[in-house]
Amino acid sequence: MVPALALVVVVVGTAAVLARFGHAYRAYPFAAGGGGAAGGDAQDLARRAARASAALARLQPRGTYLVVDTYRNRLHIFRDGELLRTAVCSTGTGIVLRDPRTGREWVFDTPLGERIIENKRRNPVWAKPDWAFIEEGMLPPTDPNERFDDVSLGKYGLYMGDGYIIHGTLFKSLLGRRVTHGCIRLGDEDLEFVYNSTPIGARVFLY
Amino acid sequence: MAASAMAADAPARVAKVAAVELEVLLAQRPEIYLVLNPASRTLEVKVRGIALDRVPLAGIEMIVHAPLFGGKAPSPPPLPAIWRVVNGPGDTDREYIAPTELRPYNPDGYDDPQPGTPPRRPGASAPTATPLPEPPASYRAQLDNGFDLWVTTALPPQGFLPRASAAVRDGWQRLRGRGSHLPPAITLAMAREDAVRLHHLMRSNMAILVLAEP
Repeated sequence: MVPALALVVVVVGTAAVLARFGHAYRAYPFAAGGGGAAGGDAQDLARRAARASAALARLQPRGTYLVVDTYRNRLHIFRDGELLRTAVCSTGTGIVLRDPRTGREWVFDTPLGERIIENKRRNPVWAKPDWAFIEEGMLPPTDPNERFDDVSLGKYGLYMGDGYIIHGTLFKSLLGRRVTHGCIRLGDEDLEFVYNSTPIGARVFLY
Repeated sequence: MAASAMAADAPARVAKVAAVELEVLLAQRPEIYLVLNPASRTLEVKVRGIALDRVPLAGIEMIVHAPLFGGKAPSPPPLPAIWRVVNGPGDTDREYIAPTELRPYNPDGYDDPQPGTPPRRPGASAPTATPLPEPPASYRAQLDNGFDLWVTTALPPQGFLPRASAAVRDGWQRLRGRGSHLPPAITLAMAREDAVRLHHLMRSNMAILVLAEP
């Protein structure tokens, strides 16, 4: 009886000492602090509200635009706010490739934010950058002609700048997965629809 | 009566207008931004003023990692405000690949493809045949206002026993020299799938517009 009691006292005492020095999470309601907003009279406030709302409305897209969900790998095409089509796509892996010779790194991310369709081409030819060879364990070729590939991008390409393209794929079974180097791959029918529906200058929103 | 009601409502209207003005600043840039609305318990992904995605929140709390007894609540940050991610898991949790050596380029150096398979070209291969690891559902992003943004699936339990148990475990870790100092965190609880898919958005300089509660 006494040893058991002593054991309990020791355990509780140790726990109490540890708890005295340890930390635990304590929650407080999240509420607004003061001082974030400048005041003004009612008329001034109404003017500010109208001006800000108008400015926000001017920034919103009109006409045809694309929305790309890089987590779910879906591309949505909208016209004047109406959804025209949703396509399964493939986007960037987010993996980083390092060149063993120079330490140079490439991040295979699909960019986030707003891009513009700068150009469109039928039967696009891909001028392969250095990373395309390094990823395969090869040195980049010295002959520039060895870089051209007229197969991999499919029938159409929509160029978003900085080498990012919406294009076709040879690997249709990988659609819906994050497998690319940052470009957006589509299946043949979806690519044709997007190519025919999206004008140069259209905005692309990627998240 | 009506005048006094309007006067009482004035700070809320001022805060609402200020929030729209702050959003205009963000929407003028091509980057995406998040809008945290504590009143409606939502987090929106936006760009140029349009909502691309909307995440319902199960809870929002300010959480401090403090001694079991004592300690005080941190001052709440003024709202509405724009917070920025200083260091986020979307920047740091990445997989690296690096060939150990590079062989000279040889266009004929590939294995012969099986009949019916598409031609294999450098850079055109499927780079990741195996699925990428799923991002975590609980992570912290450091903010520029001294707080962390803690995205998680459940808020830590606040009963005395769970807190005492956590303090005992933490005390043991501190005794072993493994204690850690965690800054106060604005904690967002949400569904697991939502937490996972927001992970890649938590990158350096990502802006979060936080609306004031009415």
